[in-house]
Amino acid sequence: MKKFMYNLKKYWNYSIYAAKAELKAEVANSYLNWLWWILDPIAFMIVYTVMVQLVFGSKEQFFPVFVFVGLTCWNYFNVSVSGSVKLVSANKAIVTKVYVPKYILLLVKSFKNLFKMMISWVLVIVLMLIFKVPFHLTMLNWFLIIPVLFIVTFGISSILLHFGIFVEDLHNITNIILKLIFYLSGVFYSIGTRLSNPLLKRLLLKCNPIAFIMDQSRNVMIYGKMPSFMWLAIWFVIGCILSWIGISVIHKYENSYAKVI
Amino acid sequence: MKKKKVEKKEIAISVKDLHIRYRSLKKFSIKKSLLKMKTGRIEIFEALRGVSFDVEKGKIIGIVGKNGSGKSTLLRSIAGIFSPDDGGIDLHGNTVSLLSIGVGFQPALTGYENIFLSGMLLGFSEEEVRAKLQDIIDFSELGKFIYSPVKTYSSGMYSKLAFAITAILETDIMLIDEVLSVGDIQFKAKSYAKMKELISDTNRTVVIVSHSISTLRELCDTILWLHEGKIKMIGDVDEVLDKYQEFMTDDALKKEEAKKREEEQVTKAIKEQVKKNA
Repeated sequence: MKKFMYNLKKYWNYSIYAAKAELKAEVANSYLNWLWWILDPIAFMIVYTVMVQLVFGSKEQFFPVFVFVGLTCWNYFNVSVSGSVKLVSANKAIVTKVYVPKYILLLVKSFKNLFKMMISWVLVIVLMLIFKVPFHLTMLNWFLIIPVLFIVTFGISSILLHFGIFVEDLHNITNIILKLIFYLSGVFYSIGTRLSNPLLKRLLLKCNPIAFIMDQSRNVMIYGKMPSFMWLAIWFVIGCILSWIGISVIHKYENSYAKVI
Repeated sequence: MKKKKVEKKEIAISVKDLHIRYRSLKKFSIKKSLLKMKTGRIEIFEALRGVSFDVEKGKIIGIVGKNGSGKSTLLRSIAGIFSPDDGGIDLHGNTVSLLSIGVGFQPALTGYENIFLSGMLLGFSEEEVRAKLQDIIDFSELGKFIYSPVKTYSSGMYSKLAFAITAILETDIMLIDEVLSVGDIQFKAKSYAKMKELISDTNRTVVIVSHSISTLRELCDTILWLHEGKIKMIGDVDEVLDKYQEFMTDDALKKEEAKKREEEQVTKAIKEQVKKNA
Protein backbone atom coordinates (compact mmCIF):
# COMPACT_ATOMS: atom_id res chain seq x y z
CA MET A 1 0.00 0.00 0.00
CA LYS A 2 2.90 2.31 0.78
CA LYS A 3 4.32 1.68 -2.66
CA PHE A 4 0.92 2.40 -4.17
CA MET A 5 0.68 5.74 -2.37
CA TYR A 6 4.19 6.66 -3.46
CA ASN A 7 3.46 5.80 -7.08
CA LEU A 8 0.13 7.54 -6.97
CA LYS A 9 1.82 10.72 -5.83
CA LYS A 10 4.61 10.41 -8.35
CA TYR A 11 2.38 9.71 -11.34
CA TRP A 12 -0.68 11.71 -10.32
CA ASN A 13 0.16 14.65 -12.53
CA TYR A 14 1.05 12.39 -15.39
CA SER A 15 -2.30 10.60 -15.12
CA ILE A 16 -4.22 13.83 -15.32
CA TYR A 17 -2.05 15.19 -18.11
CA ALA A 18 -2.30 11.97 -20.09
CA ALA A 19 -6.07 11.79 -19.62
CA LYS A 20 -6.36 15.36 -20.87
CA ALA A 21 -4.09 14.53 -23.77
CA GLU A 22 -6.25 11.56 -24.75
CA LEU A 23 -9.38 13.67 -24.65
CA LYS A 24 -7.67 16.36 -26.68
CA ALA A 25 -6.45 13.79 -29.17
CA GLU A 26 -9.99 12.56 -29.60
CA VAL A 27 -11.14 16.08 -30.36
CA ALA A 28 -8.17 16.79 -32.59
CA ASN A 29 -8.85 13.75 -34.75
CA SER A 30 -12.16 15.19 -35.80
CA TYR A 31 -13.58 18.44 -34.62
CA LEU A 32 -17.04 16.98 -34.28
CA ASN A 33 -15.88 14.19 -32.03
CA TRP A 34 -16.69 15.95 -28.79
CA LEU A 35 -20.22 16.30 -30.09
CA TRP A 36 -20.43 12.52 -29.95
CA TRP A 37 -19.73 12.61 -26.22
CA ILE A 38 -23.15 14.29 -26.03
CA LEU A 39 -24.94 12.75 -29.00
CA ASP A 40 -24.06 9.18 -28.18
CA PRO A 41 -25.87 8.86 -24.82
CA ILE A 42 -28.78 10.96 -26.04
CA ALA A 43 -29.23 8.82 -29.14
CA PHE A 44 -29.22 5.64 -27.09
CA MET A 45 -31.65 7.17 -24.63
CA ILE A 46 -34.04 7.87 -27.50
CA VAL A 47 -33.63 4.33 -28.84
CA TYR A 48 -34.42 2.71 -25.50
CA THR A 49 -37.22 5.12 -24.68
CA VAL A 50 -38.97 4.55 -27.99
CA MET A 51 -38.46 0.83 -27.87
CA VAL A 52 -39.64 0.36 -24.31
CA GLN A 53 -42.60 2.72 -24.68
CA LEU A 54 -43.74 0.97 -27.86
CA VAL A 55 -43.12 -2.64 -26.98
CA PHE A 56 -43.53 -2.95 -23.25
CA GLY A 57 -45.34 0.21 -22.28
CA SER A 58 -43.82 1.68 -19.17
CA LYS A 59 -45.37 3.45 -16.23
CA GLU A 60 -42.15 5.02 -15.00
CA GLN A 61 -42.33 8.68 -14.19
CA PHE A 62 -39.99 10.86 -16.30
CA PHE A 63 -39.00 7.84 -18.32
CA PRO A 64 -36.40 9.52 -20.63
CA VAL A 65 -34.53 10.93 -17.63
CA PHE A 66 -34.85 7.56 -15.92
CA VAL A 67 -33.15 5.87 -18.88
CA PHE A 68 -30.54 8.58 -19.22
CA VAL A 69 -29.38 8.31 -15.60
CA GLY A 70 -29.09 4.55 -16.08
CA LEU A 71 -27.12 4.93 -19.29
CA THR A 72 -24.76 7.44 -17.72
CA CYS A 73 -23.78 5.03 -14.95
CA TRP A 74 -23.71 2.07 -17.29
CA ASN A 75 -21.53 3.69 -19.95
CA TYR A 76 -18.87 4.58 -17.41
CA PHE A 77 -18.80 1.07 -15.99
CA ASN A 78 -18.98 -0.65 -19.37
CA VAL A 79 -16.26 1.36 -21.12
CA SER A 80 -13.89 1.15 -18.17
CA VAL A 81 -14.29 -2.57 -17.59
CA SER A 82 -14.21 -3.70 -21.21
CA GLY A 83 -11.26 -1.39 -21.91
CA SER A 84 -9.22 -2.68 -19.00
CA VAL A 85 -8.91 -6.21 -20.41
CA LYS A 86 -6.71 -5.14 -23.31
CA LEU A 87 -5.29 -2.05 -21.67
CA VAL A 88 -1.71 -3.18 -21.28
CA SER A 89 -1.37 -4.60 -24.78
CA ALA A 90 -2.96 -1.43 -26.14
CA ASN A 91 -0.17 0.50 -24.45
CA LYS A 92 2.54 -1.83 -25.67
CA ALA A 93 4.67 1.04 -26.92
CA ILE A 94 4.90 2.45 -23.42
CA VAL A 95 5.05 -0.76 -21.44
CA THR A 96 7.99 -2.25 -23.33
CA LYS A 97 10.09 0.89 -23.13
CA VAL A 98 9.66 2.44 -19.72
CA TYR A 99 8.63 1.33 -16.29
CA VAL A 100 5.28 2.69 -15.29
CA PRO A 101 3.03 1.15 -12.64
CA LYS A 102 0.36 -0.54 -14.72
CA TYR A 103 -2.55 0.71 -12.63
CA ILE A 104 -1.50 4.21 -13.63
CA LEU A 105 -2.60 3.32 -17.15
CA LEU A 106 -5.91 2.34 -15.62
CA LEU A 107 -6.08 5.61 -13.74
CA VAL A 108 -5.53 7.57 -16.96
CA LYS A 109 -8.45 5.74 -18.55
CA SER A 110 -10.58 6.24 -15.44
CA PHE A 111 -10.00 9.98 -15.45
CA LYS A 112 -10.85 10.15 -19.11
CA ASN A 113 -14.06 8.20 -18.62
CA LEU A 114 -14.94 10.19 -15.50
CA PHE A 115 -14.71 13.39 -17.51
CA LYS A 116 -17.02 12.01 -20.16
CA MET A 117 -19.41 10.83 -17.47
CA MET A 118 -19.47 14.32 -15.96
CA ILE A 119 -20.59 15.72 -19.30
CA SER A 120 -23.31 13.13 -19.26
CA TRP A 121 -24.39 14.19 -15.75
CA VAL A 122 -24.62 17.79 -16.89
CA LEU A 123 -26.94 16.53 -19.61
CA VAL A 124 -29.00 14.79 -16.94
CA ILE A 125 -29.60 18.18 -15.30
CA VAL A 126 -30.50 19.68 -18.68
CA LEU A 127 -32.96 16.86 -19.36
CA MET A 128 -34.44 17.28 -15.89
CA LEU A 129 -35.12 20.91 -16.70
CA ILE A 130 -36.66 20.01 -20.05
CA PHE A 131 -38.94 17.32 -18.60
CA LYS A 132 -39.75 19.51 -15.59
CA VAL A 133 -38.47 17.05 -13.01
CA PRO A 134 -38.62 18.73 -9.59
CA PHE A 135 -35.25 19.25 -7.92
CA HIS A 136 -34.74 17.77 -4.47
CA LEU A 137 -32.17 18.25 -1.75
CA THR A 138 -31.47 14.51 -1.94
CA MET A 139 -29.52 15.26 -5.10
CA LEU A 140 -26.58 16.14 -2.85
CA ASN A 141 -26.18 12.43 -2.15
CA TRP A 142 -24.91 12.13 -5.69
CA PHE A 143 -21.52 13.13 -4.28
CA LEU A 144 -21.55 9.94 -2.20
CA ILE A 145 -22.70 7.65 -4.99
CA ILE A 146 -20.09 8.59 -7.60
CA PRO A 147 -17.06 7.65 -5.44
CA VAL A 148 -18.65 4.24 -4.87
CA LEU A 149 -19.12 3.79 -8.61
CA PHE A 150 -15.52 4.86 -9.20
CA ILE A 151 -13.94 2.54 -6.65
CA VAL A 152 -16.02 -0.52 -7.60
CA THR A 153 -15.23 0.02 -11.27
CA PHE A 154 -11.55 0.55 -10.53
CA GLY A 155 -11.39 -2.62 -8.45
CA ILE A 156 -13.02 -4.83 -11.07
CA SER A 157 -10.95 -3.26 -13.86
CA SER A 158 -7.64 -3.69 -12.06
CA ILE A 159 -8.25 -7.40 -11.57
CA LEU A 160 -9.34 -7.83 -15.20
CA LEU A 161 -6.28 -5.88 -16.34
CA HIS A 162 -4.07 -8.52 -14.80
CA PHE A 163 -5.89 -11.54 -16.20
CA GLY A 164 -6.42 -9.91 -19.59
CA ILE A 165 -2.70 -10.15 -20.20
CA PHE A 166 -2.42 -13.89 -19.76
CA VAL A 167 -5.79 -15.01 -21.09
CA GLU A 168 -5.95 -14.14 -24.75
CA ASP A 169 -9.69 -14.31 -25.30
CA LEU A 170 -10.79 -12.91 -21.98
CA HIS A 171 -12.30 -9.90 -23.71
CA ASN A 172 -14.80 -12.10 -25.56
CA ILE A 173 -15.98 -13.48 -22.26
CA THR A 174 -16.08 -10.13 -20.50
CA ASN A 175 -18.17 -8.73 -23.33
CA ILE A 176 -20.70 -11.51 -22.94
CA ILE A 177 -20.86 -11.08 -19.18
CA LEU A 178 -21.14 -7.31 -19.53
CA LYS A 179 -24.07 -7.77 -21.90
CA LEU A 180 -25.74 -10.00 -19.32
CA ILE A 181 -25.14 -7.47 -16.56
CA PHE A 182 -26.53 -4.77 -18.82
CA TYR A 183 -29.87 -6.55 -19.12
CA LEU A 184 -29.89 -7.46 -15.45
CA SER A 185 -29.17 -3.90 -14.34
CA GLY A 186 -32.40 -2.34 -15.44
CA VAL A 187 -30.98 0.37 -17.64
CA PHE A 188 -34.31 0.71 -19.43
CA TYR A 189 -36.69 -0.85 -16.94
CA SER A 190 -37.18 -0.60 -13.24
CA ILE A 191 -36.15 -3.74 -11.39
CA GLY A 192 -38.21 -2.56 -8.44
CA THR A 193 -41.54 -2.49 -10.24
CA ARG A 194 -41.05 -4.93 -13.10
CA LEU A 195 -39.94 -8.00 -11.20
CA SER A 196 -42.47 -9.75 -9.03
CA ASN A 197 -40.20 -12.23 -7.25
CA PRO A 198 -39.07 -10.35 -4.11
CA LEU A 199 -36.00 -12.50 -3.59
CA LEU A 200 -34.76 -12.01 -7.16
CA LYS A 201 -35.52 -8.32 -6.93
CA ARG A 202 -33.48 -7.96 -3.79
CA LEU A 203 -30.67 -10.04 -5.19
CA LEU A 204 -30.42 -8.00 -8.37
CA LEU A 205 -30.71 -4.63 -6.68
CA LYS A 206 -28.26 -5.24 -3.89
CA CYS A 207 -25.76 -7.74 -5.23
CA ASN A 208 -25.28 -6.24 -8.66
CA PRO A 209 -23.27 -3.10 -7.94
CA ILE A 210 -24.28 -1.36 -11.15
CA ALA A 211 -27.98 -2.00 -10.70
CA PHE A 212 -27.64 -0.81 -7.14
CA ILE A 213 -25.82 2.39 -8.08
CA MET A 214 -28.26 3.11 -10.91
CA ASP A 215 -31.20 2.60 -8.61
CA GLN A 216 -29.73 4.85 -5.94
CA SER A 217 -28.84 7.56 -8.46
CA ARG A 218 -32.38 7.59 -9.79
CA ASN A 219 -33.80 7.74 -6.30
CA VAL A 220 -31.75 10.74 -5.30
CA MET A 221 -31.88 12.58 -8.61
CA ILE A 222 -35.42 12.03 -9.85
CA TYR A 223 -37.60 10.75 -7.06
CA GLY A 224 -36.25 12.71 -4.08
CA LYS A 225 -35.59 9.61 -1.95
CA MET A 226 -32.67 9.11 0.40
CA PRO A 227 -30.11 6.46 -0.62
CA SER A 228 -29.38 3.34 1.38
CA PHE A 229 -26.29 4.47 3.27
CA MET A 230 -25.58 1.04 4.65
CA TRP A 231 -25.41 -0.56 1.21
CA LEU A 232 -23.40 2.32 -0.18
CA ALA A 233 -20.88 1.76 2.62
CA ILE A 234 -20.85 -1.98 1.97
CA TRP A 235 -20.17 -1.50 -1.72
CA PHE A 236 -17.54 1.10 -0.98
CA VAL A 237 -15.72 -1.36 1.25
CA ILE A 238 -16.06 -4.14 -1.34
CA GLY A 239 -14.72 -1.75 -3.97
CA CYS A 240 -11.73 -0.94 -1.77
CA ILE A 241 -11.03 -4.63 -1.18
CA LEU A 242 -11.25 -5.39 -4.91
CA SER A 243 -8.90 -2.49 -5.69
CA TRP A 244 -6.52 -3.65 -3.02
CA ILE A 245 -6.48 -7.18 -4.46
CA GLY A 246 -6.01 -5.81 -7.99
CA ILE A 247 -3.19 -3.50 -6.98
CA SER A 248 -1.35 -6.19 -5.01
CA VAL A 249 -1.60 -8.64 -7.90
CA ILE A 250 -0.39 -6.00 -10.33
CA HIS A 251 2.51 -5.10 -8.06
CA LYS A 252 3.51 -8.71 -7.86
CA TYR A 253 3.37 -9.53 -11.56
CA GLU A 254 3.62 -6.28 -13.49
CA ASN A 255 7.23 -6.73 -14.48
CA SER A 256 6.38 -9.94 -16.27
CA TYR A 257 3.76 -8.26 -18.42
CA ALA A 258 6.31 -6.89 -20.87
CA LYS A 259 7.56 -10.43 -21.51
CA VAL A 260 4.15 -11.75 -22.45
CA ILE A 261 2.62 -9.08 -24.67
CA MET B 1 38.04 12.13 -22.55
CA LYS B 2 38.12 8.43 -23.12
CA LYS B 3 39.16 7.18 -19.77
CA LYS B 4 38.00 9.00 -16.72
CA LYS B 5 39.41 8.90 -13.27
CA VAL B 6 37.00 8.42 -10.43
CA GLU B 7 38.66 8.80 -7.10
CA LYS B 8 36.40 6.88 -4.80
CA LYS B 9 34.94 3.73 -6.15
CA GLU B 10 31.23 4.08 -5.82
CA ILE B 11 29.14 1.37 -7.38
CA ALA B 12 26.13 2.54 -9.39
CA ILE B 13 24.80 -0.71 -10.78
CA SER B 14 25.27 -4.14 -9.32
CA VAL B 15 23.87 -7.11 -11.16
CA LYS B 16 24.03 -10.38 -9.29
CA ASP B 17 23.50 -13.79 -10.83
CA LEU B 18 20.73 -12.49 -13.04
CA HIS B 19 18.43 -15.00 -14.69
CA ILE B 20 15.63 -14.01 -17.01
CA ARG B 21 13.37 -16.62 -18.47
CA TYR B 22 10.59 -16.28 -20.96
CA ARG B 23 8.40 -19.06 -19.82
CA SER B 24 6.64 -18.98 -16.54
CA LEU B 25 3.82 -16.75 -17.66
CA LYS B 26 2.72 -17.93 -21.04
CA LYS B 27 -0.42 -16.72 -22.67
CA PHE B 28 -3.23 -19.16 -23.02
CA SER B 29 -6.64 -18.94 -24.52
CA ILE B 30 -9.80 -20.34 -23.01
CA LYS B 31 -10.98 -21.54 -26.40
CA LYS B 32 -7.78 -23.49 -27.01
CA SER B 33 -7.69 -25.07 -23.59
CA LEU B 34 -11.33 -26.11 -23.92
CA LEU B 35 -10.67 -27.72 -27.28
CA LYS B 36 -7.46 -29.46 -26.36
CA MET B 37 -8.23 -30.19 -22.71
CA LYS B 38 -4.56 -30.18 -21.89
CA THR B 39 -2.02 -27.57 -21.18
CA GLY B 40 0.37 -26.87 -23.99
CA ARG B 41 4.00 -27.83 -23.75
CA ILE B 42 5.82 -25.27 -21.73
CA GLU B 43 8.76 -23.86 -23.58
CA ILE B 44 11.51 -22.36 -21.52
CA PHE B 45 13.75 -19.84 -23.06
CA GLU B 46 16.41 -18.53 -20.79
CA ALA B 47 17.57 -15.20 -22.18
CA LEU B 48 20.02 -14.53 -19.38
CA ARG B 49 21.62 -17.31 -17.40
CA GLY B 50 23.51 -16.03 -14.43
CA VAL B 51 25.01 -12.68 -15.30
CA SER B 52 26.88 -10.80 -12.57
CA PHE B 53 28.84 -7.59 -12.81
CA ASP B 54 29.25 -4.21 -11.15
CA VAL B 55 29.48 -0.82 -12.78
CA GLU B 56 31.20 2.01 -10.97
CA LYS B 57 29.59 5.38 -10.86
CA GLY B 58 30.56 7.57 -13.81
CA LYS B 59 31.78 4.67 -15.94
CA ILE B 60 30.67 3.86 -19.42
CA ILE B 61 30.10 0.22 -20.14
CA GLY B 62 29.48 -1.16 -23.60
CA ILE B 63 27.67 -4.41 -24.24
CA VAL B 64 28.37 -6.47 -27.35
CA GLY B 65 27.16 -9.82 -28.54
CA LYS B 66 25.38 -11.58 -31.38
CA ASN B 67 21.72 -11.03 -32.09
CA GLY B 68 19.70 -12.86 -29.48
CA SER B 69 22.49 -13.02 -26.94
CA GLY B 70 20.40 -11.20 -24.34
CA LYS B 71 21.71 -7.64 -24.67
CA SER B 72 18.36 -5.91 -24.89
CA THR B 73 16.91 -8.13 -22.20
CA LEU B 74 19.73 -7.11 -19.88
CA LEU B 75 19.17 -3.44 -20.66
CA ARG B 76 15.45 -3.70 -20.09
CA SER B 77 15.86 -5.48 -16.81
CA ILE B 78 18.22 -2.75 -15.59
CA ALA B 79 15.58 -0.23 -16.62
CA GLY B 80 13.07 -2.08 -14.44
CA ILE B 81 10.82 -3.20 -17.27
CA PHE B 82 11.51 -6.88 -16.65
CA SER B 83 11.75 -8.43 -13.25
CA PRO B 84 14.53 -10.95 -12.62
CA ASP B 85 13.47 -14.59 -12.27
CA ASP B 86 16.53 -15.22 -10.16
CA GLY B 87 19.22 -13.02 -8.77
CA GLY B 88 18.91 -9.28 -8.52
CA ILE B 89 19.76 -5.83 -9.72
CA ASP B 90 20.62 -3.01 -7.33
CA LEU B 91 20.79 0.52 -8.67
CA HIS B 92 21.75 2.02 -5.30
CA GLY B 93 18.99 4.59 -5.49
CA ASN B 94 20.01 6.07 -8.82
CA THR B 95 17.40 7.20 -11.34
CA VAL B 96 17.46 5.34 -14.60
CA SER B 97 16.11 5.83 -18.08
CA LEU B 98 16.20 3.74 -21.19
CA LEU B 99 17.01 6.09 -24.02
CA SER B 100 14.24 5.08 -26.34
CA ILE B 101 12.54 6.84 -29.13
CA GLY B 102 9.17 8.49 -28.69
CA VAL B 103 7.74 6.92 -25.57
CA GLY B 104 4.10 7.67 -24.98
CA PHE B 105 3.60 10.05 -27.88
CA GLN B 106 0.07 10.97 -28.87
CA PRO B 107 0.32 11.48 -32.64
CA ALA B 108 -2.70 13.77 -32.79
CA LEU B 109 -1.21 16.28 -30.34
CA THR B 110 1.46 18.90 -30.90
CA GLY B 111 5.13 18.30 -30.28
CA TYR B 112 4.95 20.79 -27.44
CA GLU B 113 2.33 18.75 -25.58
CA ASN B 114 4.14 15.53 -26.33
CA ILE B 115 7.28 16.83 -24.63
CA PHE B 116 5.31 17.05 -21.39
CA LEU B 117 3.58 13.75 -21.92
CA SER B 118 6.78 11.87 -22.62
CA GLY B 119 8.78 13.66 -19.94
CA MET B 120 6.23 13.03 -17.24
CA LEU B 121 5.98 9.40 -18.24
CA LEU B 122 9.73 9.13 -17.76
CA GLY B 123 9.17 10.19 -14.16
CA PHE B 124 9.88 13.92 -14.28
CA SER B 125 7.56 16.47 -12.76
CA GLU B 126 5.79 19.07 -14.85
CA GLU B 127 8.04 21.82 -13.47
CA GLU B 128 11.21 19.89 -14.28
CA VAL B 129 10.05 19.42 -17.85
CA ARG B 130 9.04 23.06 -18.11
CA ALA B 131 12.50 24.13 -16.92
CA LYS B 132 14.14 22.13 -19.71
CA LEU B 133 11.48 22.90 -22.29
CA GLN B 134 13.38 25.57 -24.21
CA ASP B 135 16.50 23.42 -24.39
CA ILE B 136 14.52 20.54 -25.81
CA ILE B 137 12.83 22.68 -28.44
CA ASP B 138 16.14 24.29 -29.40
CA PHE B 139 17.94 20.99 -29.61
CA SER B 140 15.24 19.35 -31.68
CA GLU B 141 15.58 22.11 -34.34
CA LEU B 142 11.86 21.95 -34.97
CA GLY B 143 11.20 25.68 -34.68
CA LYS B 144 7.57 26.55 -35.18
CA PHE B 145 6.71 22.97 -36.11
CA ILE B 146 6.74 22.22 -32.39
CA TYR B 147 3.18 23.56 -32.37
CA SER B 148 1.98 21.19 -35.12
CA PRO B 149 0.62 17.72 -34.46
CA VAL B 150 3.29 15.04 -34.30
CA LYS B 151 1.53 12.94 -36.93
CA THR B 152 2.32 15.60 -39.52
CA TYR B 153 6.06 15.29 -38.82
CA SER B 154 8.46 13.55 -41.15
CA SER B 155 10.15 10.53 -39.63
CA GLY B 156 13.34 12.54 -39.22
CA MET B 157 11.56 15.30 -37.31
CA TYR B 158 9.85 12.73 -35.15
CA SER B 159 13.07 11.07 -34.10
CA LYS B 160 14.80 14.42 -33.58
CA LEU B 161 12.13 15.43 -31.09
CA ALA B 162 12.23 12.06 -29.38
CA PHE B 163 15.99 12.13 -29.12
CA ALA B 164 15.95 15.69 -27.77
CA ILE B 165 13.51 14.74 -25.01
CA THR B 166 15.51 11.80 -23.72
CA ALA B 167 18.87 13.50 -24.17
CA ILE B 168 17.99 16.74 -22.38
CA LEU B 169 16.04 15.19 -19.53
CA GLU B 170 18.96 13.59 -17.76
CA THR B 171 19.03 10.74 -15.29
CA ASP B 172 21.86 9.29 -13.19
CA ILE B 173 22.02 6.12 -15.23
CA MET B 174 21.42 6.17 -18.96
CA LEU B 175 20.76 3.05 -20.94
CA ILE B 176 21.32 3.40 -24.66
CA ASP B 177 20.16 0.84 -27.20
CA GLU B 178 21.54 1.65 -30.66
CA VAL B 179 20.18 5.14 -30.97
CA LEU B 180 23.22 6.97 -32.18
CA SER B 181 21.87 7.34 -35.69
CA VAL B 182 19.03 9.81 -35.85
CA GLY B 183 18.15 12.40 -38.46
CA ASP B 184 20.32 13.82 -41.24
CA ILE B 185 24.13 13.94 -41.23
CA GLN B 186 24.23 17.28 -39.51
CA PHE B 187 21.85 16.28 -36.74
CA LYS B 188 23.64 12.97 -36.41
CA ALA B 189 26.90 14.75 -35.72
CA LYS B 190 25.18 17.02 -33.26
CA SER B 191 23.43 14.21 -31.42
CA TYR B 192 26.65 12.22 -31.34
CA ALA B 193 28.41 15.20 -29.79
CA LYS B 194 25.58 15.64 -27.30
CA MET B 195 25.71 11.99 -26.48
CA LYS B 196 29.43 12.24 -25.84
CA GLU B 197 28.90 15.25 -23.64
CA LEU B 198 26.16 13.48 -21.71
CA ILE B 199 28.01 10.29 -21.10
CA SER B 200 31.31 11.92 -20.25
CA ASP B 201 29.74 13.66 -17.27
CA THR B 202 31.57 12.06 -14.36
CA ASN B 203 28.40 11.66 -12.35
CA ARG B 204 26.57 9.76 -15.03
CA THR B 205 26.77 6.03 -15.45
CA VAL B 206 26.05 4.81 -18.96
CA VAL B 207 25.31 1.42 -20.44
CA ILE B 208 25.48 1.24 -24.23
CA VAL B 209 24.39 -1.61 -26.45
CA SER B 210 25.79 -1.28 -29.93
CA HIS B 211 26.98 -3.25 -32.92
CA SER B 212 29.26 -0.43 -33.97
CA ILE B 213 32.71 -1.45 -32.79
CA SER B 214 34.22 1.94 -33.57
CA THR B 215 31.64 3.79 -31.49
CA LEU B 216 32.25 1.51 -28.56
CA ARG B 217 36.03 1.87 -28.87
CA GLU B 218 35.68 5.61 -28.71
CA LEU B 219 33.17 5.92 -25.91
CA CYS B 220 33.49 3.09 -23.44
CA ASP B 221 35.61 2.34 -20.38
CA THR B 222 34.70 -1.31 -20.13
CA ILE B 223 33.18 -3.84 -22.50
CA LEU B 224 30.89 -6.66 -21.54
CA TRP B 225 30.58 -9.46 -24.08
CA LEU B 226 27.41 -11.49 -23.80
CA HIS B 227 27.20 -14.84 -25.51
CA GLU B 228 24.02 -16.90 -25.31
CA GLY B 229 22.93 -15.34 -22.07
CA LYS B 230 26.25 -15.58 -20.29
CA ILE B 231 29.20 -13.29 -19.89
CA LYS B 232 31.92 -14.48 -22.23
CA MET B 233 34.34 -11.71 -21.37
CA ILE B 234 34.39 -8.50 -19.43
CA GLY B 235 37.21 -6.02 -19.16
CA ASP B 236 39.49 -3.71 -21.11
CA VAL B 237 37.95 -2.20 -24.24
CA ASP B 238 40.55 -3.11 -26.84
CA GLU B 239 41.22 -6.56 -25.50
CA VAL B 240 37.58 -7.64 -25.45
CA LEU B 241 36.66 -5.99 -28.72
CA ASP B 242 39.59 -7.56 -30.56
CA LYS B 243 38.59 -11.00 -29.32
CA TYR B 244 34.98 -10.28 -30.18
CA GLN B 245 35.78 -9.22 -33.73
CA GLU B 246 37.95 -12.24 -34.21
CA PHE B 247 35.17 -14.46 -32.91
CA MET B 248 32.54 -12.88 -35.12
CA THR B 249 34.61 -13.13 -38.31
CA ASP B 250 35.42 -16.73 -37.42
CA ASP B 251 31.79 -17.40 -36.91
CA ALA B 252 30.90 -15.81 -40.21
CA LEU B 253 33.57 -17.86 -41.99
CA LYS B 254 32.36 -21.06 -40.39
CA LYS B 255 28.83 -20.35 -41.44
CA GLU B 256 29.92 -19.62 -44.96
CA GLU B 257 31.88 -22.85 -45.10
CA ALA B 258 28.93 -24.81 -43.83
CA LYS B 259 26.75 -23.20 -46.42
CA LYS B 260 29.22 -24.02 -49.20
CA ARG B 261 29.47 -27.60 -48.07
CA GLU B 262 25.73 -27.92 -48.10
CA GLU B 263 25.53 -26.47 -51.58
CA GLU B 264 28.18 -28.85 -52.80
CA GLN B 265 26.29 -31.79 -51.39
CA VAL B 266 23.12 -30.67 -53.09
CA THR B 267 24.81 -30.26 -56.46
CA LYS B 268 26.42 -33.65 -56.02
CA ALA B 269 23.09 -35.25 -55.30
CA ILE B 270 21.54 -33.58 -58.32
CA LYS B 271 24.38 -34.74 -60.56
CA GLU B 272 23.98 -38.30 -59.33
CA GLN B 273 20.29 -38.15 -59.94
CA VAL B 274 20.89 -36.90 -63.46
CA LYS B 275 23.38 -39.68 -64.05
CA LYS B 276 20.94 -42.31 -62.85
CA ASN B 277 18.21 -40.98 -65.04
CA ALA B 278 20.53 -41.04 -68.03
